[in-house]
Amino acid sequence: MSMFVSTGLLSNTLAGSLQPKDALEFGVANGLLNPSSSHSQGTTRTSSQATLEHSPISTPSVPDLDPQSLEMNFGSTFLSNGLLLASASHNKASQNDNLDSEDFELPTVTEAFDITPGPETPSRLSTTTPIHIPRSNVRATTFDGKTIYIRRKPKIFDPAPRAASSLSARTIGNLLNVPIHRLLDQLSMTTAANLARADQEALSHSSETTTPTRDTLWVDRYRPQKFMDLVGNEKVARDAMTWLKEWDFCVFGKSKGKKRSRDGEENLNTDEFRRPKEKILLLSGPPGLGKTTLAHVVAQQAGYEVMEINASDARTGSIIDDRIRPALESGSAIGSTKPVLLVIDEVDGATGAGDSSSTFVHKLVQLILAKPRRKGRSTHNKGHNARPLLRPIICICNDHNASSLAKLRPHTYQIRFNRPADIHLVKRLKDICTIEGMKADARALSTLVGAARGDLRGCLNALQFVKTRGKDVTELVIRKATAGMKETDSTVTSVLNNLFSPLSKKRVREMGLTDEDEARYVGRLSHEVGGAGRDTAIASGCFGHYATMRRHDANLSRHEKGIEWLTTFDQFSSAMYSDGDFALIQYLPYTVVPFYPLFHERSGEKVERNQADWEHMTVTRSNEEILKSLSRCLRNATIRHGGDFRHLLSHPILQTEFAPYINRIISPPLRPVNSQVIRPQEKALMNRLVDIMASLELRFVQEKSEDGTLSYRLDPPPIDVFVTYDGKRASDITVSRYAVRHLVSLEVDNRLISRDTEFVEKGKRGKHDFFGKPSTKEDTDGEAEYPNKKAKLDTRDIADKPPTDFFGRLITIQSASSTKAADRKNVERRYRVSYKFLEGNSAAVRKPVKVNIFL
Amino acid sequence: MSLWVDQYRPRTLDALNYHKGLSDRLKSLSASGDFPHMLFYGPSGAGKKTRISCTLRQLFGPGVEKLKIDQRIFLSPSKRKLEINLVQSNYHLEITPSEAGNFDRVVIQELLKEIAQTQQVDLGAKQRFKVVVINEADSLSRDAQAALRRTMEKYMSNMRIILCANSTSRLIAPIKSRCLLMRVAAPNEEEILDVLQSVARRAGFDLPPEAGTKIAEDSGGNLRKAVLTLEALKMQSPDLTGPLSIAKPDWELYCQKVADLIIGEQSPGRVMEVRSKFYELLSHCIPPTVILKTVAERVVDKVDDALKADIMHWAAFYEVRMRTGNKKIYHLEAWVIKVMSLYKHFFYNIDMSEFD
Repeated sequence: MSMFVSTGLLSNTLAGSLQPKDALEFGVANGLLNPSSSHSQGTTRTSSQATLEHSPISTPSVPDLDPQSLEMNFGSTFLSNGLLLASASHNKASQNDNLDSEDFELPTVTEAFDITPGPETPSRLSTTTPIHIPRSNVRATTFDGKTIYIRRKPKIFDPAPRAASSLSARTIGNLLNVPIHRLLDQLSMTTAANLARADQEALSHSSETTTPTRDTLWVDRYRPQKFMDLVGNEKVARDAMTWLKEWDFCVFGKSKGKKRSRDGEENLNTDEFRRPKEKILLLSGPPGLGKTTLAHVVAQQAGYEVMEINASDARTGSIIDDRIRPALESGSAIGSTKPVLLVIDEVDGATGAGDSSSTFVHKLVQLILAKPRRKGRSTHNKGHNARPLLRPIICICNDHNASSLAKLRPHTYQIRFNRPADIHLVKRLKDICTIEGMKADARALSTLVGAARGDLRGCLNALQFVKTRGKDVTELVIRKATAGMKETDSTVTSVLNNLFSPLSKKRVREMGLTDEDEARYVGRLSHEVGGAGRDTAIASGCFGHYATMRRHDANLSRHEKGIEWLTTFDQFSSAMYSDGDFALIQYLPYTVVPFYPLFHERSGEKVERNQADWEHMTVTRSNEEILKSLSRCLRNATIRHGGDFRHLLSHPILQTEFAPYINRIISPPLRPVNSQVIRPQEKALMNRLVDIMASLELRFVQEKSEDGTLSYRLDPPPIDVFVTYDGKRASDITVSRYAVRHLVSLEVDNRLISRDTEFVEKGKRGKHDFFGKPSTKEDTDGEAEYPNKKAKLDTRDIADKPPTDFFGRLITIQSASSTKAADRKNVERRYRVSYKFLEGNSAAVRKPVKVNIFL
Repeated sequence: MSLWVDQYRPRTLDALNYHKGLSDRLKSLSASGDFPHMLFYGPSGAGKKTRISCTLRQLFGPGVEKLKIDQRIFLSPSKRKLEINLVQSNYHLEITPSEAGNFDRVVIQELLKEIAQTQQVDLGAKQRFKVVVINEADSLSRDAQAALRRTMEKYMSNMRIILCANSTSRLIAPIKSRCLLMRVAAPNEEEILDVLQSVARRAGFDLPPEAGTKIAEDSGGNLRKAVLTLEALKMQSPDLTGPLSIAKPDWELYCQKVADLIIGEQSPGRVMEVRSKFYELLSHCIPPTVILKTVAERVVDKVDDALKADIMHWAAFYEVRMRTGNKKIYHLEAWVIKVMSLYKHFFYNIDMSEFD
């Protein structure tokens, strides 16, 4: 009866819509199947079920039905029964050396791949009925020679994979002139279509028994509760556990320390409280890998009560004092007997960058480093009345290189999370699907894992979303559900790499792109560039890299185009920033996208950040500073010489004309000769040099190099950078010898001193009487006359900072006039120093008073 | 003691060595008693500022040389502090508003009004007005120039403005029309040589004529540079005997190296080399337009006549882009690649048009 229905149905629909060739094939398939189905109860039952299931649809009452897909479904159902089981039984044996576990289920992918018999095989195979497959184990030998037996599982009927096998078998007829991945895509599309149909049917015909929806997220429902539940990197979990166990002695005392009998060996790592060397565990890794879960599970397993601080709490330095310290000192959370363990989630978002001492991270470090002298209430170790940090802390972050963590990092034991092997995740997802009653094939799940890049949380959310729409998980459904997941956050380097190299095959597969999609790069790349949000950095990366590409460019036309785009980028961005025309920002990504068609090449080297640009910027900064201080010198000289140097100050002249020539002017060929025996010509030269240097306040400063030799360097501004290109000084400038520089520097200092005193006498007598020259400065100037270089070096620092009183005002001597009058009478001024010192003690509030105030 | 550039700078109009006609005109203008606003323009080192100070002396007498230099602090609209150096005498005031960058408008507005609204109190002064000298007028922003416009007319009775610029092209037309334009051309080589000889004489040594000629040639009409070179030469080889090497600024030599690199080979690898040289130049604070100009001039010297016009055209093209853009190196390199490709096409005699 069932047979009749099926064939009748088929012939009806075949006549209606199929191509003759297909019809023939299907007819053959059906004919072939008939005997087998008559033999086998199972197959007949299923086929009849299928027929019955679909028979109502074929009636004209459902007009929008697509007959072709229906038959394909039927045909495949029939054909596959014989074929798949037989071939699976053959191929399981051939495959099983890949498999370690006996009850491992072959993924559908491999099944699909194994359907390799030629077109004539179905007829042969179909004679072997699936029911007669021997139930004995399949014997297989692994690579290391171990013999394993694979138990043959009674195959549960699963329409989807069978459909896959039969379809591919059919197309394989002309031996893969369509690539296998295309076939697989096609296949999953068909299944999806079938599922959609089934859904529709279910909706239109039967009010299905809806499972009561529980209102928890799967992420929470399937969160691992025990240590053994953890999936992924086992080593990471064990490391974390080991670290936590090191706290046992400190936290639980000796009673529980019994477990850790090998404590004695590890005593080296622990301090007087038997704490581990690193007091904080820092878990870092991309989102969704289970860092927070691990922390909680491990803490629970080790018998702690978790106290969590995360981004939802305020995380300023004060929270440490207000909440964390009390909790850690009391040792246990409120209403709990277990010791507390602090989990600081998303610690990279806490305040911590900068030098301020009140940031969260800074306080945390202080907490760790606290010495026993700090008082604290103790609950466990009554022996100690002072308490440093005695409870473990786990910090969790995404980016362990975050600047805010810089101070914390040295004190932490770092564990990094990496993306676990896909196979573990797929297995876990599969388990979950089974629990939830979803039919999922492994290929679809591995697609999901690929799209999520190992983010288990993302996978679970996607699955839950899929569940709301149907019970079956196929690749197509997954693709749809994960459409947004492709846009993972992109960094500058990843964007650059994508710009300069084509998509890897793996990534193409993960993103589920067809060839055309792959060829359409503009949308994809511009989206990525825009998503990174660092247009300038990306452009500069492109600039740094494009000329290093190896592809031959005979007339530089591609380079021309590339740089043209860059200049366009620059014009856009500068218009944007200078005119505030931020509407342009959406066009910026498109100006770097053309680098892909122009320059992308396979196996190009990795693109790094444009280091040259950065170096150039820092060098330019420092040179600008030098230029600034040079112009300050010039300005002072202008003031002193009645406006003489001011024409050299204007912008391009200073660096293009003055800077190169002044370097030559101040490096005459002098010989180190004592000033007594010097020739008059040289003396004139020397005088001139000293004049110029003194007027510009250029000096030679003595410094000690690493190997201990003394040398003189041009300072305050080391203006010789302007004649140094590529690290080489201009050849026509002789570097004067040490002795010469010594001589010159002495002379210059003398000149400066005498000039200063002149200035004091001339300029400061009148209205500036109050702000007379501070005596200390004069005194050091006097000292500087002695050719004692060391003293001179020191005095310059003091001389730069005039003494100030408590309020930051200049300390002045009331009887300033006498100071100024005295020029070289150092002996007299010696007394002044001591007098000043005494005064300095009570300089807090100082004002001149009359004697009668005390009377 | 000052450098020779300042030490031997002419103080009066009569002492000026060249452009006698210009000096005469200036003298008669300052005698006429109805002195206009003026705009001195001409290449760098031609003697604009010298002429301005000579004119001021002619107007006010030696009192104008008693200079006082101080700093004024202005507040920008965004409450940023701007420090501006003022050079002033009793009769005049010199400012360089470009020190304030984008906020030069504030400086112009506040300072000029303040000067303009106070009358000359010195009864002994020769003129009833004060003079404001604005240096680097061609880098004044549009706003600042607009602020200058009306002030120039309104306070004519109390104040005259002397602008000093390299070229008039960046000044708006209303300003130009309110000023008497004075072009100070660069001195030619004989004139420079004259000046050098007189400087040498006053400094008390004899300058060998061939060295003088060489300096004059190298200076390219920039007298300031010539005098600086002379002083460097004198310091480096004090007795001026033997073979004299005339120092050139290092960045110029380096630019020439870059030009040679461009001509030597045209390949992406060479582009990278040139780029690193450009970075080096830029990091020495050499203005990118100066770099482009110097390199382009050198390149043009060395290539075939047929290419010269094109290369200069593209140099001008990218210079404009550079001025509007932020990343100077992009535009410099764009020009380099353009030149390389032009050169290559010319060399292999390929028609450009089919590649565009």
